[in-house]
Amino acid sequence: MEVKIYTTTLCPYCKMAKNLLRKKGVAYEEFNVESDASAAKEMAAKSNQMGVPVLDINGKIIVGFDRQAIEKALASEPQNSEAI
Amino acid sequence: MDHEHIAYDIAIIGGGVVGFAGAMYAGRLGMKTLVLSEMTGGTIILTDVVENYPGFKRLTGQELADNIQEHAMDYGANLVEEKAIKIVKCSESCYSIFTESQSFHAKTILFATGAKHRELGIPGEKEFANKGVHSCALCDGPIYKEKTVAVVGGSDSAAKEALVLAKWAKKVYIVYRGEKIRAEPVNMRRVEQKISEGKIEIINNTNVNEIHGAGRVEYVILDREYSGSKKFMIDAVFVEIGMIPNSQLAQSLGIATNSKMEIVINRKAEANLPGIFAAGDVADMEFKQAITGVGEAVAAVYSAYRYVNENEFICACNDEEFEKSIIQYGKGK
Repeated sequence: MEVKIYTTTLCPYCKMAKNLLRKKGVAYEEFNVESDASAAKEMAAKSNQMGVPVLDINGKIIVGFDRQAIEKALASEPQNSEAI
Repeated sequence: MDHEHIAYDIAIIGGGVVGFAGAMYAGRLGMKTLVLSEMTGGTIILTDVVENYPGFKRLTGQELADNIQEHAMDYGANLVEEKAIKIVKCSESCYSIFTESQSFHAKTILFATGAKHRELGIPGEKEFANKGVHSCALCDGPIYKEKTVAVVGGSDSAAKEALVLAKWAKKVYIVYRGEKIRAEPVNMRRVEQKISEGKIEIINNTNVNEIHGAGRVEYVILDREYSGSKKFMIDAVFVEIGMIPNSQLAQSLGIATNSKMEIVINRKAEANLPGIFAAGDVADMEFKQAITGVGEAVAAVYSAYRYVNENEFICACNDEEFEKSIIQYGKGK
C-alpha cells in the first residue's frame, strides 16, 4: 500500500492523521508543503484545493482529518504495510 | 439481560480539554468514566500559543490538550474515539448512548461537545473552501508565505489568527464590521506592534460581502470602499467570526438551550434534565476560555458524583426497550 500525507509543520490535524496511521501500523511518506514547493503543487493538483492535511491512500484522496474516511480507505486495501 | 455491569457512572461527550478535565476528576472520585470523542484535542489545538492557563506561562494548545488528556487517562477513563450520534433515556436512571457501531449505558452525561466555527454565509465561501477560504491559520497559514491575506472578525481569536498569519504572510488585513476590534490588551499590543511594522492593517466598519476568483481566491467585495474601491485583491480569507455550540445532540434529548444554542446550566453545571450536565463552549457561560470550561467540567463532575451517590442508582434498562434501541441505532456492546 502506498500512503502519502501532505502536511504543514504546526498543523494539528496533520498530527492527528499521522497518529492514526501510526496507531494502525501503516507506513506513510510525509511531504511538508510549507517547505516543499513541488509537493505543494502536487497536493493542489491531486486534491484541487490548498488545505492540509491531504492523504493519498493508494490514489484515494482524503482532504482534512476525516477518521472514518481514512479508516475506510485503509480497510479497502488488501494488507497494511509495516509500521514506520 | 442485565446491563448493570457495563453501565458507566458518567459518559462524557467530547474529548477536548473540558471533557478530559471532567474525566480526570471523575476518575479521582472513583467514577466509572467513558469519554466519547469525535475529534480528540478539541478546538484548542488550533491555538498557537496559550498564555492564560494558570500554571503554564506559555504552551501550545496541542500541548495543553495532550497534558490534560494524559492526566485523565492516568485515572482510568475509557476513551472511545467515535462520534455519539444518539442518546436515549432507556430507564428512569439510565441513558443509552449510541455511536455508529456501539452503544453504552451511563447514569449521567456531561456534554463537553464544544463549538464549531461560524461561517460567513456569503457567496463564494463554500466554492472557495480550502481554495483561499480557511479557518485554521496554524494549518493553512504557511501556504500563504509572502502573500496578502485577510482575517474576517474582530474578537481576540481573530487578532490571534492575524498574529499567527503575520509569521508568514507579506501583509495581513483584519476586516471587522465593528468600530474597533476586541482583542485582549496583551494581544492588542502585539497587533499594534505588527501594525507599526506594516505587517497588519485593520479595516473597521466593513463587511466582506462576496468572495471571487478563478480556481482560488483572488479578490473579495467589501460593503464599503477601501482605498477607493469595494473590490479588494487578496490571496486568502481566514474566517474567525465566532463559534456555534455543538448542542444538536443535547437538544435531541430535550435539553434546554438559549437563543445562541448554548445549553443552559446552573452553577452546579446542571442542565434541565436529571443527570445531565454541560461545560465549556457548549454551555451558556459568557466568558469562554479553557480555564473556565475546565472549572465548569469539574463542578459538573462533582455534581454528577453527588447525584449518582445520593440516589444510589442502578443503571438497568428495560431489556425490551434497550434491544429495540440497539436495532434502531446500532449494535450493543
